[in-house]
Amino acid sequence: MKIAIGLINGMITAATPILLAALGGTLTFYAGIFNIAMEGMMLAGAFFAVIGSYFFNSWLMGILFAVLASLVMAVIFILFSVVLKTDEFVTGIGLNLFALGATTYFLRQIFKVKGAFSGPGIVSVPNIEIPLIKDIPLVGEILSGHNLIVYLTLIITIWVAYLVFKTRFGLRLRAAGYNPTCLDTSGVPADRVRIWSLIICGALCGLAGAYLSLGYVTLFSENMSAGRGWISLAAVILVNGNPWGIALISLLFGFSDGLGLFLQRVLPSQFTSMVPYVATLIALFVYSIRRKETVLS
Amino acid sequence: MNTIIEMQGIVKVFPPNVVALNDVSVDFREGEIHAIVGENGAGKSTLMKILYGMQPANSGRIRYRGQDAIFHDPGEAIANGIGMVHQEIILIPEYTVWQNVVLGVEPVGLFGRIDEKEARRRVQARIQEFNFNLAVDAEVGDISVAARQKVEILKLLYRDVSVLIMDEPTAVLTPQEIPQLFNELRRLRDNGHTILFISHRLDEVMELSDRITVLRRGRKIGTVDTADTSKEQLAQMMVGREVIFSPLRQEQQIGDVVADIQGITYIDAMKRERLKDISIRVRASEIVGVAGVEGNGQFELVNVLMGLLKPTSGEFFVCGERLTHASILDRRKKIAFVSQDRASMGACLSASIMENVLMTHHRLNKRFSKFGGLVLDYAQANRFTEEVRQKLDVQMDSRQAVFRSLSGGNQQKVILGRELSLGAPFILLDQPTRGLDVGSIEYVHQQILRMRAESYALLMLSSDLDELFRISDRIVVLHRGRIVADLITAETSITEVGYFMLEGKPNATKID
Repeated sequence: MKIAIGLINGMITAATPILLAALGGTLTFYAGIFNIAMEGMMLAGAFFAVIGSYFFNSWLMGILFAVLASLVMAVIFILFSVVLKTDEFVTGIGLNLFALGATTYFLRQIFKVKGAFSGPGIVSVPNIEIPLIKDIPLVGEILSGHNLIVYLTLIITIWVAYLVFKTRFGLRLRAAGYNPTCLDTSGVPADRVRIWSLIICGALCGLAGAYLSLGYVTLFSENMSAGRGWISLAAVILVNGNPWGIALISLLFGFSDGLGLFLQRVLPSQFTSMVPYVATLIALFVYSIRRKETVLS
Repeated sequence: MNTIIEMQGIVKVFPPNVVALNDVSVDFREGEIHAIVGENGAGKSTLMKILYGMQPANSGRIRYRGQDAIFHDPGEAIANGIGMVHQEIILIPEYTVWQNVVLGVEPVGLFGRIDEKEARRRVQARIQEFNFNLAVDAEVGDISVAARQKVEILKLLYRDVSVLIMDEPTAVLTPQEIPQLFNELRRLRDNGHTILFISHRLDEVMELSDRITVLRRGRKIGTVDTADTSKEQLAQMMVGREVIFSPLRQEQQIGDVVADIQGITYIDAMKRERLKDISIRVRASEIVGVAGVEGNGQFELVNVLMGLLKPTSGEFFVCGERLTHASILDRRKKIAFVSQDRASMGACLSASIMENVLMTHHRLNKRFSKFGGLVLDYAQANRFTEEVRQKLDVQMDSRQAVFRSLSGGNQQKVILGRELSLGAPFILLDQPTRGLDVGSIEYVHQQILRMRAESYALLMLSSDLDELFRISDRIVVLHRGRIVADLITAETSITEVGYFMLEGKPNATKID
């Protein structure tokens, strides 16, 4: 039983950053942008979360810095791919590499360490015990005691689903992806909608980064996003952007992550840590086949 | 009736030297259906796009409701009450009718939530007001083309547009759907809306419009009251009494069948029948011209013959060899092809002239390669390019110059030189002189006639009737994907072919 609860909690913990980034990614997906910069946005967020938290001794400042850093990345993406119309894929790759290089550089320059920085000065985002529920056996252990950002993520999932399917913004957002000319001729510049989708995506990726360095663990290590941004992209593509589907896929990836750890008892860790990435490859394969079909029809 | 829009002295030049509109002045009255007719390229759509703010005019004045008005984009035009329904329908198939209609002007409630009930109610009210037969909750991807067109109109009416520009609205409709559209347009007019209706179908224009403006080659020929005119008069105004150049053709013995197109039918992915039972035989030393208003199956016919589209049924033979399902390379052994699109199909603009001359030859002719096809023989290639240059008198700086640097006429000469020296028995020419100046056209025609004299079989598609009459031996007319006439050039007239092109049948009044 302990193992089962451990697996479930591990699943929720590992799913949270993927889900947050994927919710951002789904907005850009609906807007018709092939956005692969979630990885870099998340990494920038993770690093600046530590900066904010360490220098102001406040996890709130950590989250604020994470979101701002990620927004800067989003603004660069907007400048290049929306305003200057460069290739989205190349822009995304560039941003991801930039984030990796810049965070590593600043880590070494500011904290004078290689590899990872941790210390008592970093204030992590608190865990929340839910009154009443925490006392229920089993359920309490699963539902209560998670990080604040985990609960925020739940709310954000509901909000994104509402935003996309029920609001005026959502109708225009999806129109920008389906047929931007139609949206333009309806009097709403498609590019403006795209810019908003990228800004929200940036904020959510920043939050995901903050969770990595101030929630999941309390440290920053080089390349700590470790492909989660790519996995979130795969999650978006796999379910065609549906926020609830993304939540489910994120949990599955979270589970495979936890399962990987668990399997380390029988398999070499090099193999077990492949599990989430193999799942991503399969997801992208499915995407390419679907795309082929839509191009042909 | 009051004049609502005046366009004065509109000039539009497409660089470098195509004059699309030459000092066109026209006025539209409030509450009329005003048809704008003319052949392809007469400037109808350009004139309307200028009014709608999609393209700027080079000079001229527009007065709208008594005031100077130049709209810089369609959004501004719509806000001022002028809307345009384009030939191609721009809607979101994944959305319902009401979602498409309200997109951009959605009624919202709390937290940016769309007030669906209100939106549905408003759209439903408009549907009832104009008596459109539409279901608000139907998904646009599931409804007919005619219904989608109605959604486009509804979208504009929802934005309180009072002037409606319709760009060839019947082109996408079946004959059964047209009367319903006309009834709706008449009802709108009786409601006080002004309708500007672009068309080149004379029957429709005579039936629907109150006044008609005729354009020809960028000039306004005149505006007439529909009641005071006839189809014959309009046809004359549209085509003009142009002098037919004396034929260049020499009498020649026609040979055996070279290309045999047998009952080709093509149904596209949207289940529309684009070609229906097309049969054409082209003999050696014969030029068969294909006439037709653009969009009546020419594109599909060329692509089926060249292997870019798979015919739904029918067969295609050249010199007895079945090419219906052959690979493109196998076809190219038998067919020389000059496409209408030099920039993307006929040539590679960023490659050198020599590379463009060599294309296709490098696969079909062994003399251009060494070491069993591994390496190109550049000495041979250069010699061959020089041959083509001399034979067709191409003006170029060097063989290595980029193809883009050539003028349109010289580009076409290079392509003709390449294709005509393939030695393929069947030559397919798709608008071989489009966009060329008069001198180059003359030259291209001479080359085409030279091939005829050398016993090649030629099929030439052209939207230029003068050209067809000048060089082809026979003219077949395509209308809505069917061949509606197969005429011997010497025994027909431009007027007769024109009627077949526009109406798909002979001039009824002449038979009476």
